Amino acid sequence: MSSVLTNTRKLPHRLAVAALAVCGSCLVGLSSLVPATHAAQDENGIETYISPLEIVVSPDGARLYVLCQDAREVRVLDAATHALIKSIAVGQVPRGIALSRSGDRLYVTNSWDDTLSVIDTHQLTVVATWAVGAEPSGVVSDPDGKQIFVANRISNDVAVLNARTGAEEKRLKAGRGASYLVLSPDGSRIYATHVYPNPSPLRTGLENRTPPQSEITVIDAARAQVVDRIPLKSIAGVFHLAFSPDGRLGAVAEYHPKNMIPLAHLEHGGAFAYTLTLFGADVGEPVEVPLDELERYASQPFGVAFTPDKRELYVSVAGSECVLAIDVQRLLQFVHSHPRPASNSFESDLAASGNYVVARIPVGANPRGIAVSRDGRSVFVANRLDDTISVIDTRSNRVVSMIALGDGKPPSAMRHGEQTFYTARYSFQGQIGCSSCHIDSTFDGITWNLEPDGFGRSIVDNKLLEDINGTEPYKWTGTNPSVAIECGPRTEKYFWRSEQYDDRTLADLSLYVLSLPPRPNRWRSPDGELTPAQERGKAIFERSVDTFKKPIPESNRCSYCHSGPKGTSQKIFDVGTRKPTDNTGLFKAPMLTNIVLTAPYLHDGSARSLEEIWTIYNPDDKHGRTNDLTKDELNDLIEYLRSR
Amino acid sequence: MRLSLGAGAIAVLIAALSVRCGLSADSSQLSLPDVIVTAAPGYQPLAALSGKERFPKGAQLLLVHNGSAEPLASQLWASADANVSFDGQRVLFAGKQKQTDHWQIWEMTLRGRSLRLLYAGSDDAIRPMYLSSGQFFFAQRTAPGFQIVVAGTQSGDPFAPIDSNASAKLLPITYLPASAIPDDVLLDGRILFESYFPLGSGTTPEEFLVYADGSGVESYRCDHGRARWGGHQLASGDVIFTHGTSLARFTSPLAHEAPVAAPHGEYAGAIAETQSGEWLVSTRPDAQAHFALRLVTPGAAGMRTVFSRSDRDLIEPVLVAQRARPHRHPSALHPWNYANMLSLDSRLSREGDLKTAPASVRLETLDPQGRIRSNGTAPVESDGSFFVQVPGDRPIRFVLLDRNGKAVRQERGWFWIRAGEQRICVGCHTGPECASENRVPAVLMRTTTPFDLTNAKPATQTQASRGN
Repeated sequence: MSSVLTNTRKLPHRLAVAALAVCGSCLVGLSSLVPATHAAQDENGIETYISPLEIVVSPDGARLYVLCQDAREVRVLDAATHALIKSIAVGQVPRGIALSRSGDRLYVTNSWDDTLSVIDTHQLTVVATWAVGAEPSGVVSDPDGKQIFVANRISNDVAVLNARTGAEEKRLKAGRGASYLVLSPDGSRIYATHVYPNPSPLRTGLENRTPPQSEITVIDAARAQVVDRIPLKSIAGVFHLAFSPDGRLGAVAEYHPKNMIPLAHLEHGGAFAYTLTLFGADVGEPVEVPLDELERYASQPFGVAFTPDKRELYVSVAGSECVLAIDVQRLLQFVHSHPRPASNSFESDLAASGNYVVARIPVGANPRGIAVSRDGRSVFVANRLDDTISVIDTRSNRVVSMIALGDGKPPSAMRHGEQTFYTARYSFQGQIGCSSCHIDSTFDGITWNLEPDGFGRSIVDNKLLEDINGTEPYKWTGTNPSVAIECGPRTEKYFWRSEQYDDRTLADLSLYVLSLPPRPNRWRSPDGELTPAQERGKAIFERSVDTFKKPIPESNRCSYCHSGPKGTSQKIFDVGTRKPTDNTGLFKAPMLTNIVLTAPYLHDGSARSLEEIWTIYNPDDKHGRTNDLTKDELNDLIEYLRSR
Repeated sequence: MRLSLGAGAIAVLIAALSVRCGLSADSSQLSLPDVIVTAAPGYQPLAALSGKERFPKGAQLLLVHNGSAEPLASQLWASADANVSFDGQRVLFAGKQKQTDHWQIWEMTLRGRSLRLLYAGSDDAIRPMYLSSGQFFFAQRTAPGFQIVVAGTQSGDPFAPIDSNASAKLLPITYLPASAIPDDVLLDGRILFESYFPLGSGTTPEEFLVYADGSGVESYRCDHGRARWGGHQLASGDVIFTHGTSLARFTSPLAHEAPVAAPHGEYAGAIAETQSGEWLVSTRPDAQAHFALRLVTPGAAGMRTVFSRSDRDLIEPVLVAQRARPHRHPSALHPWNYANMLSLDSRLSREGDLKTAPASVRLETLDPQGRIRSNGTAPVESDGSFFVQVPGDRPIRFVLLDRNGKAVRQERGWFWIRAGEQRICVGCHTGPECASENRVPAVLMRTTTPFDLTNAKPATQTQASRGN
């Protein structure tokens, strides 16, 4: 067996990032750039930040547990004084946090370690670290404390663990990119959401494009079985859910893209609606309600939390850098007093939110996790990208204090680039940011029709951003030579439709995008060794003769176009995938880093799986010689690609 | 072009028109920043919408400082329509050197009072305003009425001086058989202007929006009815305007105007907002009195007189101060002489959705002589969608037809699509509150080539003969 790791890929990523940061201005071709003041640094000289992502309140209301993603720790704060009680180290890229119902245990998912940290809340120490599924995200404990449920983003399922031993008892199929979980107030149900839309039905042409579909997966907590899947029509990107304390009303934050329509302008919700789906006894059939207004959007809602008296519902809006306060009574009145559309969605009514959103409260950069104090008087908001927690007084709906978790220094160039990536402030009326389509700096799993290509023409699949440094040119057609050009004037004109950032901010954004590391590949062993199937697939990938011993022209070998450590020769090819509505059949060979994660495939997303690239869309062997392969051989090739 | 006057006769005339007195004593007791106001013996707020003169007896800009007023541009016979630059250093305005001149566009530095002529055309040019692109725009009188034009080149620096050759680079951005008069530049970069509703054919003053490259024209709101003019965006983002005897506002959450609690009176239009959130308005108790400047605290029942003149209307107040800079609009127009328009579902309308899809859509254009021309018809799909190529930069409107060619709905007014613009409409007059449904319109599943409606047929009738 051989290793697929190259010397380049063995380099510690953070060192590579440091090198990138040093010459960031060179990379984007801009001059007179001076790095901003640096914050704290790690052992490699990389600026480090706290990045509070989620907050939970202890059952007695005395403590706040703050999940700090970049600091890789849980900070325990006194809820009254906000004083730090203790910092508890956890794993890589922690993403989810939950308390057991008794409050004795705190569970933290470490999404890049594929582990779960179990913290004793009396001793405030990690007492166990258990292996879980691929990219664990949300976590909840059942009411009896017997089982723990973990949503695995990459394996698209919910793992059920024995709460005492950590042993995995079963997996429940959830939506694609399973990420957030909530336990119903009566403890009978667990609700799961997912950040990427489920695979679309089979389609063979653009005429069969269908809106994205997502779901809320409903799990019987006692039996650990899926009992329902609540469809979320036209939704791509579903985040936190919350229940009113009486359990009669559930709310989930979500993105409703307008990707089936040419992206010609942003006014009137041209690119996205940002909505809540309400479900439960209070509303009957689930109903979608918008958060946007006519000239002001609620870009990228993330966290939701009800007050204990059910009077208000708070929603953190990450891209708009605010929290919305919703009057629950008025919300329900709106839902019941307006004729219900056949689609059960009010999303196209931009004047709807004026009926129930009662305050739009500015907070910090990239607000994410949100929690209400036990007495209902305060809302805590984790501002991920400025290392603060906003405290909102629920009587005045104003921020009354700010808890600083970091050193308060100005952000570094890298951090500034990340803030730029996640804000919607540069787009027309604040409708979209980079992260609207690149969820958590990844992708969104859907296809778009960009205006300059023509209405209905050149549909393009959205791509993963991780590890793209050195894979230029960009765009499917390879017409953008650098990230600075990709994210610069072109983005201003055709995406933001409004004046965007200055050159320095563009340089910082480019630096951030180019530094995004690839997440660990779960199909490759840690030592880089390939499985036998992967070895066989690698041989197919690199072969020069086909099954019938006929030579395969060099230009039609997988390894020719997909050469190099990242699987791209960075050149343009015609692999026979042009559709009648495409303006060109020439496309840049896409990189293969973590290709297994990024379905759908091909430039227009017409292949739902890696298999379909060759079983449906390669009839003439123009996309590599593959029609001679047996099913098993094709499976081997795909196994190898999964390891890239 | 820099002005070097010194013409004694003109100065005497100016002095007679604009004396340093006559202001209310209240003004010195208020901590207001400097204000520039237009003083005129008579003012007709809506005259320009009909192509008429707003200041038939002339006008003069006054700079009000510490409770006293002085002429701002005493070298000129007339001056009006002040617009202060984003950094508070310069003022753009309409002026006339001589009584017989047309209105021209001038700029003055506020510190050194350096004056220069930016644009002098063959007819009146009024209501100039700065853009964040380093350009400016104004309304220029044409045969059909005032049209808005953008002047100068994009410097990319909103604080840079306007290029001296600005008048050589004019870009019309409205194409109406009626007048379009600028009111403000919104923070999102769009230009707020007033015209008549229905656009290009009606008689009710209304507020409209257009991007700085002339694309995306639309009504601000579609709860049409009462006359609305004098729009100005407040720091909150709301747009405040007048009905004549009351104030009202557009606010982002609402699809209809919201009332503003303000004292009864006759409001001239343009409003200035102080940094403390008060409004400087131009009001008078009745048509026999002159407009005076008064300060309104939002929500309060009364108002305080700030400046008044017994023989002058004091209107169009602007603060001499830095102000928020609107976003620059990055034009995405293609280098075409036509435009494409995609209607997602023409059945939808605020006036009531059509129960069945129209069979076809007819494009009508208006030629320079005011004659209505048909550019032919295009099919409408069963989901109400259609995709057409239309002539750019001219008045157009659509008529929905049934299978027998009978009109089932038609636009009452005219609009335009800029050459090179690709535009999507959710429906036919659905209102800005209606967002699109996420589905591929049927017409794009059939073809991605727009139906060509760019060629006008011979004129059939005039707009006047249609009675609209």
